[in-house]
Amino acid sequence: MFNTTIIIKSLPLLLEASVWTVVYSLTSVAIGFCIGTLMCAARLSTSPAARRVSAFYVSFFRGVPLLVQLLISYYCLPLVGINVPSSVAAVGTLALCTGAYITEILRGGFLGIPAGLIEAARMVGLSRTQILTRIEVPLAVRFTLPSLVNETTMMVKASSLISVVGVLELTRLAQNIATSTFQPLEIYLTAGAIYFVINGVITLLGALLESRFQLEAAR
Amino acid sequence: MTFNPAILLDNWRDLLDGLVLTLLIWVVGTVLGLAIGLVVATLQLFTNRWVAAPLTFYVALMRGTPFLIQLFVIYYGGPSFGLDLSPLTAGICGLALYGGAYFAEIFRAGFVSVSPGQIEAARMMGIGRLDIVRHVQLPQMLVIILPALANMTVLLSKETAVLSVITVNELTSVVQSIGSTTFAFAETLLFLALVYWALLEIVTAAARRLEKRVGRFMLRAQG
Amino acid sequence: MSEGPIIDVRGVWKRFGATEVLKGIDLSINKSDVTCIIGPSGSGKSTLLRCIAFLEEYSEGEIYIEGELLGFAQEGGKRRRVSEAEVARVRRNVGFVFQQFNLWPHMTALENVAAPLRLARGIAGDEAARRAGAMLEKVGLSARAGAYPSQLSGGQQQRVGIARALAMEPHIMLFDEPTSALDPELVGEVLQVMRDLAGEGMTMAVVTHEMGFAAQVADTVVFLDHGRIAASGSPEEVFRRDPNPRLRQFLQNYFDRNVFWQSEEGAAS
Repeated sequence: MFNTTIIIKSLPLLLEASVWTVVYSLTSVAIGFCIGTLMCAARLSTSPAARRVSAFYVSFFRGVPLLVQLLISYYCLPLVGINVPSSVAAVGTLALCTGAYITEILRGGFLGIPAGLIEAARMVGLSRTQILTRIEVPLAVRFTLPSLVNETTMMVKASSLISVVGVLELTRLAQNIATSTFQPLEIYLTAGAIYFVINGVITLLGALLESRFQLEAAR
Repeated sequence: MTFNPAILLDNWRDLLDGLVLTLLIWVVGTVLGLAIGLVVATLQLFTNRWVAAPLTFYVALMRGTPFLIQLFVIYYGGPSFGLDLSPLTAGICGLALYGGAYFAEIFRAGFVSVSPGQIEAARMMGIGRLDIVRHVQLPQMLVIILPALANMTVLLSKETAVLSVITVNELTSVVQSIGSTTFAFAETLLFLALVYWALLEIVTAAARRLEKRVGRFMLRAQG
Repeated sequence: MSEGPIIDVRGVWKRFGATEVLKGIDLSINKSDVTCIIGPSGSGKSTLLRCIAFLEEYSEGEIYIEGELLGFAQEGGKRRRVSEAEVARVRRNVGFVFQQFNLWPHMTALENVAAPLRLARGIAGDEAARRAGAMLEKVGLSARAGAYPSQLSGGQQQRVGIARALAMEPHIMLFDEPTSALDPELVGEVLQVMRDLAGEGMTMAVVTHEMGFAAQVADTVVFLDHGRIAASGSPEEVFRRDPNPRLRQFLQNYFDRNVFWQSEEGAAS
């Protein structure tokens, strides 16, 4: 029998925990975006060393399962004398992982910017940094918005893995409730529904933003 | 901190078993996922909305929720509706259902990429629906969607690690248990990362070669 | 300010690998001159203009902008590429209008004009917006200030491009085929803006296929062929009297393409 009372009773707790899911995943995407921008700049720079570092970074963090990355940061950081709360280590790992994907997304965006737009900026005297921050980054973000939004939803889902290293968020709390009430089906379905709604909202916001940009960018 | 790689050698048998199981899960999960994806995409496009709508919902659901939660629902929640699966079966089914949703989206995009005029022409010649799919659409779209399919297949190989959470004895699980009995976390986990990394690089390189060959083949076929 | 030419091109060569695109160009443009550069495609005319803007690095020779060497520094007989900031300083008084407009699609017309004022000149936002508004008015686009490039016609986009360059108060404006990407019926509005500018005494160098514009507005017409200046002089001299056979052929092709009605006696002048 499908037990609805348990769902109603545990829903407030699950919703409270989902706030942490949102906070952790959005924080890591924000940090990951900064890492991604830097790594992308390194990848497109003329310095062979910077290019190699960036390529190595992307290859490693996209090549190793996130769960394994989380286990490494959880078990190995203390071994080298770094003692931070597990939530901080977990968000840092999520950020590094998503940063690698964002690097690749942005790279496509940067390469897609017509050279003429940069030339125009140079001809009106913008500096290298101004061209990067005022012209290239905004354009690359607009070109790659669907991918960036998709990456954000991927991170919301991926954040469920940090439950494995003991960080309390939606999945972890669902596990706790499921084992204490012996109603795993109801609890996990509810948790799944909450993730689904969070991602639905993010996708919707992304679509809104995109339609606003489309007005500007379509030629 | 001491670093003692010999621990890996001491446990080589378990590690090998774990690796084999990881590969098995990946291959079986991917093949089943591809089948699910193709069937779902075909039904979505070529049947009425009463069939298509639930399938669209399935795809959205699998893509919108964490794989880990899906595994929990199948493995821990399954018994509530009489589905009592072993961890391995639950894991493979989960992987196939998860991958299937993504593969369905890829196939759907592929179907749409073939111009409607060609399909109209085929229909005018009286070719049946399924034959149009098989002989007109699939051959053309496969080249287009091959990179996306390969990419998804590579992603699935990483998802296999999540099965360790529902106690499937694949590589990540084996390494974790060696780690917790010997406390050699650094050696074992770094080894684990390297194995996955190498595996992914190999698979990715193979996929690129396949894409190139298929691309060349198609060029020759058209020329 | 020095009394010499605004632009002085001396013996400039440009090579792309083994291909020689410019083969020793000498050209000077004085204050308030309108110089139209014409020539067949592949003759190097756009490359010349892009070298004057240092969007292309020239391989040999010198280009002076108001007396300052552009892009390089002379050091003991050898030349050294200077920094991008130094290039920007030397060409701060050069405005450039692109064939493809190159408006930034994520900014409105007003922002396209105002952003460089704020960013490159450090002018406060309000003041930059005011000046940008004035520039848009000058090109007849006040009403479209809030529109994004995608919402403007090609002619309007190019006028915004001109306003963007003008807002920096340049001493010379370079136009790289400003009407070539436009539908024919939109060419007129852009040429009118350029004509007005010339009337105000703006120094201009224009790479163009609009012979009518060159004949009416230019002080000097330069005919470029295979990377060399094959003819130059007043429009009268170049269009009517210069005997260079390549020039005559080029002009004949042009007239054949454009004259759709001619009376018995009025052949291609």
